[in-house]
Amino acid sequence: MQTRRKRTGPATKVATWLIWLFVAADLVLILWVFISSLRSGTDVMNHPFGLPTHPKAGNYGQALNAGGFGRAALNSVFAAVASSALALVLAAPCAYALARRRSRTSSALTMTFAMGLGVPGQVLVVPLFVGLAKVDLTDSLWGLILVYVGLAMPFTVYLLTGFFAGVPQVLEEAAVLDGAGPLRTFVRVIVPVARGGLITAFLLQLISGWNETLFALVLLHSQNKVTLPVALVNFVAAEQLDGQNWGVLFAGVCIILAPMLALFSWLGTRIIQGMTVGIGK
Amino acid sequence: MATLISDSPRTRRVRGGSPRPTGMAPLERQYRRAFWPFAAPALIFYVVLFLVPIGFAVYTSFYKWDGMSPMHDRGFGNYRILWEDPAFRTSLGNTLKILIVGGALTFAIALGLTLVLREMNRRLFARSVLFFPCLVNSLVFGIAAGFLFSPDGPVNQVLKFLGWSTPPLWLSTENLFPMIVGTLVWTATGYYTAIIMAAVDQIPTYLYEAAELDGANAWQRFRHVTLPMAWDVISVCAVLWTVSSVKVFELILTYGGTNSSQPPVQTWNTAMYIYAEAFPQASAPQLGLATAAAIVSLLLVAVITVLLRRVMRRDRIEY
Repeated sequence: MQTRRKRTGPATKVATWLIWLFVAADLVLILWVFISSLRSGTDVMNHPFGLPTHPKAGNYGQALNAGGFGRAALNSVFAAVASSALALVLAAPCAYALARRRSRTSSALTMTFAMGLGVPGQVLVVPLFVGLAKVDLTDSLWGLILVYVGLAMPFTVYLLTGFFAGVPQVLEEAAVLDGAGPLRTFVRVIVPVARGGLITAFLLQLISGWNETLFALVLLHSQNKVTLPVALVNFVAAEQLDGQNWGVLFAGVCIILAPMLALFSWLGTRIIQGMTVGIGK
Repeated sequence: MATLISDSPRTRRVRGGSPRPTGMAPLERQYRRAFWPFAAPALIFYVVLFLVPIGFAVYTSFYKWDGMSPMHDRGFGNYRILWEDPAFRTSLGNTLKILIVGGALTFAIALGLTLVLREMNRRLFARSVLFFPCLVNSLVFGIAAGFLFSPDGPVNQVLKFLGWSTPPLWLSTENLFPMIVGTLVWTATGYYTAIIMAAVDQIPTYLYEAAELDGANAWQRFRHVTLPMAWDVISVCAVLWTVSSVKVFELILTYGGTNSSQPPVQTWNTAMYIYAEAFPQASAPQLGLATAAAIVSLLLVAVITVLLRRVMRRDRIEY
């Protein structure tokens, strides 16, 4: 292919350079945040681009304890994993039923779920806050998890319906002739075949649960219950008074960044595929 | 199993009379039997945690309510108050600016990137790196910007080094909003580029080869092959952008590491307005007003989505 690419005009060359410039900017920003997280606040302030003279892993200790990021990170992991798992367990059978049965009810339900894709989250924030307060589930991680599961329904059902529609029916036919019931057919035949789609749906929900800020900010108050984004917002607000401790702040930023970076470098293509093919087609 | 044969005509009728081999009947029957048990749990969650709250939001938007004392009927009063509230006008204006100006920039850049990325080396790596920011909580960008663009921050130091002695006050109140839009465009571009590229990768290469043989340059190949072939996906992206641009929140909340508890009103969008009215730090919550603002943003999304789908509709190209 190399030999065929000789007809590149100067405009294309400039554009290619620009792209690499943006790519480099993204990489430098991540690297810079990481390096800064190892330096003391005043040092970062005075020499933003310096290397850490005495790498201060202490920032992380300070962030985890004093900043409360340790507890908050655990809460975030719990909220993101539990809500993704629950959303998947609920949405998968539903999406399967919707994909396989073509009746008027089924297409109406599919439409109803798809309409939810167009609803911005802030429409739900007041009603959910009021409702959860009624049943005493505010300032509770389980309340937040319920909210995330509800918010996840439209997209997860939509994505999986498309995915199950692509699974050949022949497989189930064999299982049914062998006398397997619906649940057994689903768990034993469909789930293993559709594993890829299920993992993708789980991952996407995990990412959005990990990053979600608005509902966490509104629903959680106690220091020991907040998730990582809330802890960061609170830290920024608190540090405003006596000058930012940028080292510790960036350590917190790294804690929120690291799992995404790890997930992406491990399962990058799957994440991109899930976020693009599910929507593009 | 005896009911197997008598069952099939009914199944067939429900499926719109499409001729099906009778061998499918047991499977059909199973789908039907399993439908509600399978669909109900998700549906219940969706109704209770999604649809009922939307209904409640519409209902609340007609009342004056602080969340504790009894609700007072206000009719369309809340919507009138919104219309007269300069803070809401600013917020709505900003939401529209993000949607339209930010959207135009994002798509112009994303399509430009598509044009170049299709033909360059190591494009998968470049695509991945450009995609990554959309996985990061926008809080991070808000916080980072607060440091990078501070008066003695890295950006100004670089500019000074390059000989620009009086760089603009990046984080002054009037510059804040354009900076937010810029950051948003930067982080969103990679995502839309990835979606559009996924569609572009599906386009058969012989079309490009044919265009090249006809002497089409990069721009012409883009204009006459890529754009029409990827049009469906681009129109879906436009709808997607509409929904996600109205949701922007974290970025505005933390941009520049705000020096008070809430960012200046000049940078608010409707999401921020709703948050500030419903969960204020000092005054009484105005839940009716907040939900009215939420309903306005929902209607905004609905109207623009319908318009976009109408304007961008094309006949599907088969390949």
